[in-house]
Amino acid sequence: MTASQEKVKVQYDDQIVRMFFHATLFWAFAAFTAGVWIAFELAVWQLNLNTEWLTFGRLRPLHTNAAIFAFAGNAIFAGIYHSSQRLLKTRMFSDMLSKIHFWGWQLIILAAAITLPLGFTQSKEYAELEWPIDIAVTLIWVIFAINFFGTLARRREKHMYVAIWFYIATIVTVAVLYIVNNIALPTSIAHSYPVYAGIQDALVQWWYGHNAVAFFLTTPFLGLMYYYVPKAANRPVYSYRLSIIHFWALIFIYIWAGPHHLLYTALPDWAQTLGMIFSIMLWAPSWGGMINGLLTLRGAWHLLRTDPVIKFMVAALTFYGMATFEGPLLSIKSVSALGHYTDWIVGHVHAGTLGWNGFLIFAMIYYLVPKLWKTELYSKKLATTHFWIGLLGTLLYYISMVVAGITQGGMWRAVNEQGQLVYPDFVETVTRIVPLYYVRGIGGALYLIGFLLLLYNVYKSISMATEKPTDEVAEVINTNVKSEDIGTGHRKLEGMATAFTVLTLIAILVGSVIEIIPTLSLHKYVRNDVQVEPWTPLELAGRDIYVREGCYTCHSQMIRKMPSEVLRYGPASTIEESMYNRPFQWGSKRTGPDLARVGGKYPVTWHYRHMINPREIVKDSIMPNYPWLATEKIDYYALRKKLSIMKYLGVPYDDDTVANADLVAGRQAQEIADGLIEFGAPEEVRNKEIIALISYLQALGQKGGLSEEDKEGGSE
Amino acid sequence: MSDTDKDKLTDHEYDGIKELDNPLPGWWLATFYITIVFSIVYYAYYELGSGPSLDQELQTKLEKIEEKQNQAEMKQPDPGNVDYSQLLADNEALATGKDIYMQKCAACHGAQNQGVIGPNLTDNYWLNGKGTIADIAHVIVVGVPENGMPPWKGMIKDEDIPKVAAYIKSKVGSSPAGAKAPQGELIEE
Ligand code: HEC
Ligand code: HEC
Repeated sequence: MTASQEKVKVQYDDQIVRMFFHATLFWAFAAFTAGVWIAFELAVWQLNLNTEWLTFGRLRPLHTNAAIFAFAGNAIFAGIYHSSQRLLKTRMFSDMLSKIHFWGWQLIILAAAITLPLGFTQSKEYAELEWPIDIAVTLIWVIFAINFFGTLARRREKHMYVAIWFYIATIVTVAVLYIVNNIALPTSIAHSYPVYAGIQDALVQWWYGHNAVAFFLTTPFLGLMYYYVPKAANRPVYSYRLSIIHFWALIFIYIWAGPHHLLYTALPDWAQTLGMIFSIMLWAPSWGGMINGLLTLRGAWHLLRTDPVIKFMVAALTFYGMATFEGPLLSIKSVSALGHYTDWIVGHVHAGTLGWNGFLIFAMIYYLVPKLWKTELYSKKLATTHFWIGLLGTLLYYISMVVAGITQGGMWRAVNEQGQLVYPDFVETVTRIVPLYYVRGIGGALYLIGFLLLLYNVYKSISMATEKPTDEVAEVINTNVKSEDIGTGHRKLEGMATAFTVLTLIAILVGSVIEIIPTLSLHKYVRNDVQVEPWTPLELAGRDIYVREGCYTCHSQMIRKMPSEVLRYGPASTIEESMYNRPFQWGSKRTGPDLARVGGKYPVTWHYRHMINPREIVKDSIMPNYPWLATEKIDYYALRKKLSIMKYLGVPYDDDTVANADLVAGRQAQEIADGLIEFGAPEEVRNKEIIALISYLQALGQKGGLSEEDKEGGSE
Repeated sequence: MSDTDKDKLTDHEYDGIKELDNPLPGWWLATFYITIVFSIVYYAYYELGSGPSLDQELQTKLEKIEEKQNQAEMKQPDPGNVDYSQLLADNEALATGKDIYMQKCAACHGAQNQGVIGPNLTDNYWLNGKGTIADIAHVIVVGVPENGMPPWKGMIKDEDIPKVAAYIKSKVGSSPAGAKAPQGELIEE
């Protein structure tokens, strides 16, 4: 052992941590501002300034991507680079790779910030970025992985601490999720169709979507929690055994939970039930992390009164516990029936993101500033004020959205003694909750104001530093040597990075394979006697416009298997109805009504006037105006390529239609335009995008896909 | 650190972070086991056993609702026998009718009932029925979907539909500016 007792000097790369730290602050501001803006857009639609780039449908993906990948992402990287070097007693594997990782990531975010408002989107939530950016994300993630695992290989600490386990799970799983969910065939540099269709696409997307929450907003944060909480409180971690059990249980179970986003839909029952039960089993493993964090702080409670860092940490862990209790609750079928598609879900997410992710990041920032810049925190009082304002903002946000969600959900499902909907008019259920949209916006604004206090505090703290920031040098003992006793059981595994990583990969693949593989053979679920027509070329063009405008951020296209839905919208949606749909458009939020069967409900002139100005038809509508659709031209020339790719993916178009896609579309457009002009639309409307969109809206629910029995399940 | 904590200290240390070897909290473990047992039973009942599928559940619930609808229909007076003419003198009913009309109908029939997408409702020409309140109410209920008039059954409360019809009737003969050319048959009263 003597040789290993010798001390070695290590210089940590703190510069890269400071870079990610700055990026976190910069993008936090962007993400929060976008969030507050779109929150108010739902109350006052005119805030989009009547420009296409700022409409809710395009800005919402910008907000979610900025919050997740830019704000949380940069914070995760800052924390991982800072803590891993110290836990592994070595500098990062390669400074060059660190820099490429940093700049590559910022460029990706910039590309997202430009392309999303322009309407380049795959429309899969948190996976909206188009294929060239996806490839860039994958490459940068691989670079991060090489850098991290290289560091792990060079570690001077035999055993890996629990934080490192969570980082490993994050890096491995995000890679798998991101690649599988984004497999698509390009039709141009800025557009693609996913290889999955209908229920496959829905399942893969929500397997991804839910695990973006799990492996981007949970596991890395638990890792950060396991480093910064004991450090800040100077207390030992409460239970090593609990760390082991809840780590493995969490990553194994989480990956199955995705289908809880699809309860009562056309997804086969078995997959829905798996999603529900694994969500319920997830409750204890999630709380394992909260308990271990809070009990670590046991004995440091006096700091709660004086130290803003501890305040933020305790609140973060409490919100984590709250959100991970509410999650399983919302996954119970009957609760989902009420909460799904409503603002309750939005509130639930923000308890997690504002309360857990945001507050833990703020704690980390206040903890790191003095360390990274060798200075003092400028004002504890200001940080405490930030805490209270942020807490008030989060609570206002959460409570207003839960109340809005339960109110609206209750109105949607209310059926009276005569067997009729009590609130048949959808917009009635919207006007009821608009006041709560203001409250939510105010909550968000408070959160943003709190963050501005942090910015000022950080700025003042850094300007108080007397010397230039440097890289910390530490003297460490190398314990990663052959002679070291490696231990037995799990302890032994903690010394074996490769084996640990492989086991992690297996743990997350089990649930993924069991859920996804069966639905890949879609034909097994499709009934032979039910006919479905593919979209006509013009309807497909309209569908792509629907995707581009982000209509799915407000409208679902999935009538759930619930009586109130059948009364309101018609027979429940079937698997066959979406079998040619790439990407699927089931949506996750009904700010407006479901559109799965809107085709034929109104005449074309209704849609024309409604799209130009919804309030002309429905006085209290909060849907934005889309006047530019009547001035932008349909891209007929792209259609041949689009149809040929659809055909390649198995959609039954005949060769003639593919070869003449533009002409076929042109003819259909002319018919619709004639009808509109007859009722007073201007002649210029010909060949404009609004025609394609209307053709799509009028085709919704009109393409077959229902058996005779299905139709009887209808409202008539 | 308390003494009991010291006893539980493992020999792990990472960058100054130590770990205690506390056992798993009993209530936590119990919760975990209960959720696992519940999940197995739930899955077994619904997916392997005799539990109803979502389609079956929906069917049962829809049948109950249908029963309610049928009962309610039986209780309703035959609309052909009701005399709605007293509604024309009922200002409150006309006001309610107007409210609903402005929200739901004005977009197609115009704020003065003069006709836009839908026909002019102030003249004596009718495409459907003979322009009595009962006839108008009937068109409102069933619509003319193939020609672009949506059916409003379920969208407007049953008791309000005659009020909308009465409001329309009360405006017949108002000859608003810009009225649409007559459509349908002239009905002499
Ligand atoms: C900010 C949320 C929002 C966005 C974005 C949005 N809508 Fe709406 N939409 C609504 C609301 C609310 C209603 C209900 C009131 C109304 O009819 O205007 C509605 C109603 C509709 C209706 C009438 C449905 C019915 O059954 O009466 C259609 C059709 C529609 N929207 C199409 C679209 C299309 C197409 C897009 C994208 C270009 C879109 N909407 C984007 C909120 C939105
Ligand atoms: C989407 C446009 C639209 C809306 C909204 C609409 N209508 Fe109509 N309505 C029409 C059209 C088109 C016709 C003509 C139908 C035909 O050709 O038989 C019509 C016909 C009628 C008729 C029969 C007229 C006749 O000459 O026979 C009545 C009465 C009527 N509508 C009342 C209403 C009422 C009341 C509402 C609101 C609850 C309403 N409509 C909403 C489009 C609309």
